[in-house]
Amino acid sequence: MDFVYSILIFIGLFVILASSFDLVIGHCGLISIAHPIFYAIGAYVSAMLSKQSGMPVPLSILCGGVGALLASALVSVPALRVSGDYLLIASIGFQLGLIELAKHFHEIGGAGGLTNIPSFLIKDFGRESYVVLVLALAGVTVLFIRWLTQGPYGRMMTAMRDDELAFSMLGRNAIWIKVAVFAIGSGIAGIAGGLYAHYFRFIEPDQFGLLQSSAVLTMVVVGGMRTTMGPVIGAIVLQLMPQVITFFNLPPSILGPLQGLLFTGLVLFFMFVRPQGLLPAADLWVGRKPLEGAGHSGKEARS
Amino acid sequence: MFDLAVVSQILWTSFATSSYFVLFAVAFALVLKVNKVFNFAQAGVMTCGFYAAYVGVRILNLPGYAGFMLGIAGGVAMSFVLEYFGFAVLRQRKASAMFVFIFTLIVSQFIAYAVMMIFGTWPTTIFASMFWPVTLVGGIAVSAWDVPAIAATVLVLTGLWAFLKYSRNGQFMLAVADNADLAELYGIQKDRILMLSMVMAGVIVSVGMFLYGSRAQVQAAAATELMLFAVAATILGGIGNIWGAAIAAVVLGVVQNSSILFIPSAWQGFLLFAFLFFAIVLFPRGFRLPERRNTLKRMAVAPQALSDGKGN
Amino acid sequence: MSSTLEIRGLCKSFGGIVVADSIDLDLSPGRVLGLIGPNGAGKTSLFNLVCGVVKPDAGSIRLDGQSLEGLPTYQRARMGLARTWQNLRLFPSLSVMDNLMLGPRVYSADRLVDVLFRPAQIRANEAEARDRARDILERTGLSPIAQSRVQDISFGQQKLVGVARALMNDARCLLLDEPMAGVEGQTYALIQKAVRDIAASGVAICVVEHNVAFIRDLCDEGVFMFAGKVLARGSVEQLIADPHLTELYFGT
Repeated sequence: MDFVYSILIFIGLFVILASSFDLVIGHCGLISIAHPIFYAIGAYVSAMLSKQSGMPVPLSILCGGVGALLASALVSVPALRVSGDYLLIASIGFQLGLIELAKHFHEIGGAGGLTNIPSFLIKDFGRESYVVLVLALAGVTVLFIRWLTQGPYGRMMTAMRDDELAFSMLGRNAIWIKVAVFAIGSGIAGIAGGLYAHYFRFIEPDQFGLLQSSAVLTMVVVGGMRTTMGPVIGAIVLQLMPQVITFFNLPPSILGPLQGLLFTGLVLFFMFVRPQGLLPAADLWVGRKPLEGAGHSGKEARS
Repeated sequence: MFDLAVVSQILWTSFATSSYFVLFAVAFALVLKVNKVFNFAQAGVMTCGFYAAYVGVRILNLPGYAGFMLGIAGGVAMSFVLEYFGFAVLRQRKASAMFVFIFTLIVSQFIAYAVMMIFGTWPTTIFASMFWPVTLVGGIAVSAWDVPAIAATVLVLTGLWAFLKYSRNGQFMLAVADNADLAELYGIQKDRILMLSMVMAGVIVSVGMFLYGSRAQVQAAAATELMLFAVAATILGGIGNIWGAAIAAVVLGVVQNSSILFIPSAWQGFLLFAFLFFAIVLFPRGFRLPERRNTLKRMAVAPQALSDGKGN
Repeated sequence: MSSTLEIRGLCKSFGGIVVADSIDLDLSPGRVLGLIGPNGAGKTSLFNLVCGVVKPDAGSIRLDGQSLEGLPTYQRARMGLARTWQNLRLFPSLSVMDNLMLGPRVYSADRLVDVLFRPAQIRANEAEARDRARDILERTGLSPIAQSRVQDISFGQQKLVGVARALMNDARCLLLDEPMAGVEGQTYALIQKAVRDIAASGVAICVVEHNVAFIRDLCDEGVFMFAGKVLARGSVEQLIADPHLTELYFGT
């Protein structure tokens, strides 16, 4: 049963990661693949706070999210101030550099990883309760991102992607929108990191590297960018698929690369054969129906 | 604490080892300049070049020069595949810069995993021994690797310089780099030139990987870090400036290798990322994903047109 | 009468190409100024300099007495500067209505913190913007296609949407870059009427246009630009009648 729980937890976590990554790369059009490093920051901050200073786990997870949110500004502010294209290289440097750095700090476990992270809920209410928690938060994340992208902020991100210059000429500040969305996406990933740490109770720097980046990217590209359900479907499909391979009882030295091959191969396949993903996004942005009593506009929208 | 002999020894060795950094950086800068692509798939080309040479020398027991040729063939083949089945298709489809970039990144990862499947994750070298005989020159130990490596690098750079300056195709390449659409208008086959620059980059990195792999251990993921080094050098050297990237690569290579004098060796790997970050934060001038210019600036008529009462 | 936009000694060159050569120019409230000149005279470049898309080498630009120096484009827009683009630059992924919804000078959805924590303010703001957008769409005759995609409407209508979007700013100074190129018939009249109405409300307007009839009908005054220089300023009739300028324009 534990095996099934683990898979469900992973699905929940990757729904959170893929959806928040879609917010950054899809909705906001920011090129960065360093999403897993914010997942890592959340995991490490939360684990250390609860382990060292005995902070209650829910609070430490929240702090992990805030930590990831703030850390994202370290990358995005200097990079985006110059040009959007910098973000990509700056964030890869940040991701790999921080992983390298973590390996050298014995206080946080070094390359061997951080063990004995306090658990949460499991002792009192069983593993099921944690599964429910993670899946519920995954649902909340998906709904939140849908709410955000279908509101005025989503309209702004769409326009910014279309034509940044014209967008600025309307008095909108593109840089801060990008910094803010990058921060929100990273903060959500940080919370997912905390959830991971307190269930599996072990984290190591190498698990947040480029393999993880391509996994999350695959979920978004395969599922369909800029759709609510695309990343969800992507996360579920790509979590279940590697499980199928594990049935073949391959040695770990083959299994790891094979998973990587599968992820990257799928992205390549989709990029050339079906670039829009399983669920294609609509060409036209349509927001929520306006609530402020503007009666007739809703009907016009349907015509 | 450091006597002159030690310092000059380290400087010499770092200078010699920066030879392959220069090649990687020049190839990256060339593709960025001509093809307008941040080609992270270069890591994949490098991996192919290395393992082709490795198969030749270690598995087929061919002599070194044959392994060298095989390495170049491997890199060129990968470059060809990338351009023909990848970039050309994406260009035709007018894929966004982000899309193309993700493609390069994923391809390099794909190749790394494929190589891991085939050759395992253990580090290997092209020749069975990494030991090179050493001669003392004025108190400095010069290994038998150093001189040929520097010579090969200088040869490649001179060849590239001469090619760009004197050959017709080289001039076409610069024309495409300057304005691909205009170049096409003048009858230059853009696709052929873009292919040529990819293939040349393939040759250059394969030479670099042969040098690297005959001196240090390589595993499937090693090329990514080597390439990030090239990215840092390209940014520091100024985007679009191939020779600037080469000089930056020498400087970075010497700094990284001689850092052993100042910081614990465990931290040397971290320096690369510090370079990358500083390159972006402190020296970002001119660095952006190049957009293709669609319009031509018209030369304005000089103001004295007024005085003689004529425009033209 | 003090000028809304005041340009003094503005210079800019790209390499050897001079696009602005110590330009002095004033736009007055309620008046329409036409910029005339051959292609490459630096008309659009002047707009880009005013909007902060391109940084000047020297010179000053003031909007209502406030210096625009060093300000990014979006801040200039928030101070009351609006423009349209030669190649339109509408947002293809948005409907006509949503294109306009992004236009208000002050818009609280700009701040993510407000979006997350002050929904009532955002709703009020949206409603206000929507009313304003409806009003402008009504006046420009675009109401029937408010929910269409901008690719699905005619070129003339797209031009009109560009103007309408700029109007959302409630600008003090409006720059129109070739609003009439490729426009005919009814839309022509609509754009003309829209520009007149805006001018009547006290906005300073500058128009780049090749359509001489439009310039003559609409502009209070004209400026002839050539090779980055302002060569002459006067009534449009005068400028058109000047044989020397005509020669420069047609480049004999």
